[in-house]
Amino acid sequence: MMRMIPLAFALLLPIPAVAGDMAGISRDAVEQHIMPRYAVLDDTSQALAKAASQTCDVAAPALTDAYDAAFDAWIAASHLRFGPSEAGDRAFALAFWPDTRGITPRTLRTLIADADPVAASAEAYADVSIAARGFYALEMMLYDAEIQALGTPEYRCALMQVMAADIANLASAIRADWQGGYAEKLAQPGADGPYRGEAEASQELFKALTYGLEFTSDTRLGRPLGTFDQPRPKRAEAWQSGRSLRNVALSLASLGDLAAILAQGDPGLQTRLQDAFSTALAEAKTLDDPVFAGVAMPASRIRVEALQQSIDSVRDIVRDDLGPSLGVASGFNAMDGD
Amino acid sequence: MTSRRSFLAGMLATGLAPSATWADAGAPRWLSAAGLPDGGFALCGIGADMTLRFRIPLPARGHAAAAHPERPEAVAFARRPGTFAAVIDCAAGREAAMLSAPEGRHFYGHGAFSLDGRWLYTTENDFAAARGVIGIWDADHGYARVGEFASGGTGPHEIRRIPGTDTLVVANGGIETHPASGRTKLNIAVMQPNLSYIDGGIVTETDRLAPEMHKGSIRHIDISHSGEVAFGLQWQGDEDGPALVGLHRRGAPLRLCSAPEANLRAMRNYAGSVAFAANQRHVAVTSPRGGLVQIYDAGEARYLRGETIADACGVASCRGGLLVASGTGDLWRVAVGMARRAEHAALMWDNHLVAI
Repeated sequence: MMRMIPLAFALLLPIPAVAGDMAGISRDAVEQHIMPRYAVLDDTSQALAKAASQTCDVAAPALTDAYDAAFDAWIAASHLRFGPSEAGDRAFALAFWPDTRGITPRTLRTLIADADPVAASAEAYADVSIAARGFYALEMMLYDAEIQALGTPEYRCALMQVMAADIANLASAIRADWQGGYAEKLAQPGADGPYRGEAEASQELFKALTYGLEFTSDTRLGRPLGTFDQPRPKRAEAWQSGRSLRNVALSLASLGDLAAILAQGDPGLQTRLQDAFSTALAEAKTLDDPVFAGVAMPASRIRVEALQQSIDSVRDIVRDDLGPSLGVASGFNAMDGD
Repeated sequence: MTSRRSFLAGMLATGLAPSATWADAGAPRWLSAAGLPDGGFALCGIGADMTLRFRIPLPARGHAAAAHPERPEAVAFARRPGTFAAVIDCAAGREAAMLSAPEGRHFYGHGAFSLDGRWLYTTENDFAAARGVIGIWDADHGYARVGEFASGGTGPHEIRRIPGTDTLVVANGGIETHPASGRTKLNIAVMQPNLSYIDGGIVTETDRLAPEMHKGSIRHIDISHSGEVAFGLQWQGDEDGPALVGLHRRGAPLRLCSAPEANLRAMRNYAGSVAFAANQRHVAVTSPRGGLVQIYDAGEARYLRGETIADACGVASCRGGLLVASGTGDLWRVAVGMARRAEHAALMWDNHLVAI
């Protein structure tokens, strides 16, 4: 069927019905979800820098405990990739992973071989490749036997300490930007800000949830899973520090918290989401495979795949039900991303 | 009794029917992949009057297609990271062959024929090495895989041939993905997109945006009759890019098109498809995320106007202007102030309209 009609008239589209009450979502997300996470990241990162400054013993529990606490805090915030975390590529500098080309070990080897004086201060270190900064580079200093055999102990210690100090600077800069105005812009969106209304603010948060779920399923689990014929256990995230499964569980818990806020206008949907998250978290908690070494054996691989599937069930609900309830464009092409 | 069509189809299969032309396929003007209400997928031929000329099932979601310059033959490519490409005999209305990406490669969804129609070129991912390659297939010998060459970057997406020449232009989007991690982008922090010109299998020119714009993924291109390349950008991460459309002539620097802040922002940092209009002076860019098609002036490299079309993505030139296809099944013939619409309620038009 074909008609001749004035374009302006023909293109008046119905405004999609939005279920629930969007007002308040972004404010609650800022106050209850985002600000507490970046505060903990900042606090634990300062503690990590302090612990690092007091020892050169990379096996000292005071250091590795502080590292774990700060890394935990990062994982809980790692889906919040907008605004202050993206300014100056701060989040990438905190977390350069996956490192598909092995840039992190290569850059570290060069720094150590040259005893590069850039390690003398955190301010100077902010100019090195982001691959040599953050939690994953620091993991190599703390746990990678090959890196620990290079150069002098003094230089390696200085490098480890400057990485921790740099992490602390990044975390406090992100927190400062949130406190210094960005929190308000997201909580009270308006015409002059980066979010012109509650709908745009909610959509940013929805994107963060979607991205976090995708990253945990496709990357944190998908990379070690590889294919049945070619599993890749050594591609698991942070396997050297034994954190692979821990990171999955922490991210799920944090994403579940955000999902509950986004679905607060629809109690039925909120319950279904929480049930799906609980199922996934229960899979993670009963999985006795901290670094996904089991992906290489059929019997244990199936458990990791089950965990991935349970996360994908959450993604289905988020895409099919939560997205429309927030008025997110869900078109055939809009969702495609090519 | 053998019908003319099936006779021709038989001849086509043997490569002995040089007289079969696109007229034998119901003279479609455009091709587009589509989603179907039952969850299936198809490649469709669309006539100049915006009616459906043929619809051939695909095994999974398609993306773009390449039309043979002479024979009524089209190749529909799987959506990334798919590994099939369906050769469609558009005269007989059936699948003539099914190509599979070689081991260790997947298609990106685009391809182009050589000037004489002998070779088909496909953008592919050598995912173990995160290296973009262009696959070469022999269209005269059953689309046998005969080789490949480097695309000049990571994540090659759309590939076009400069009209009247055998120079290929590739949009290397810069984004690394691996089938084991689905469509997740693995290298946003360090991505390096570019526009590459390829002659005889060798990259002869590489053009990049300024280093601080490295998160602007150059994903889609169209080329004017005179060889000017229009490209569409997709900004990654949290980046609000300064432009969504750019223009380029070989040997010259890249030019970004200007647009008022509000119009730029309404596109949500995402260009789904680009096309020169029939007059060759206007460039259209669609954003399904913004539900918009915007028209730019190529000479002045600036924004002219926009139209709201829900889930708009495919765009191609048509007589008097532009044809836009939407995921809601609509085809819009867009000209100044007026539009004509054809509804295909049973189809969700997929990303690209390919002119024949």
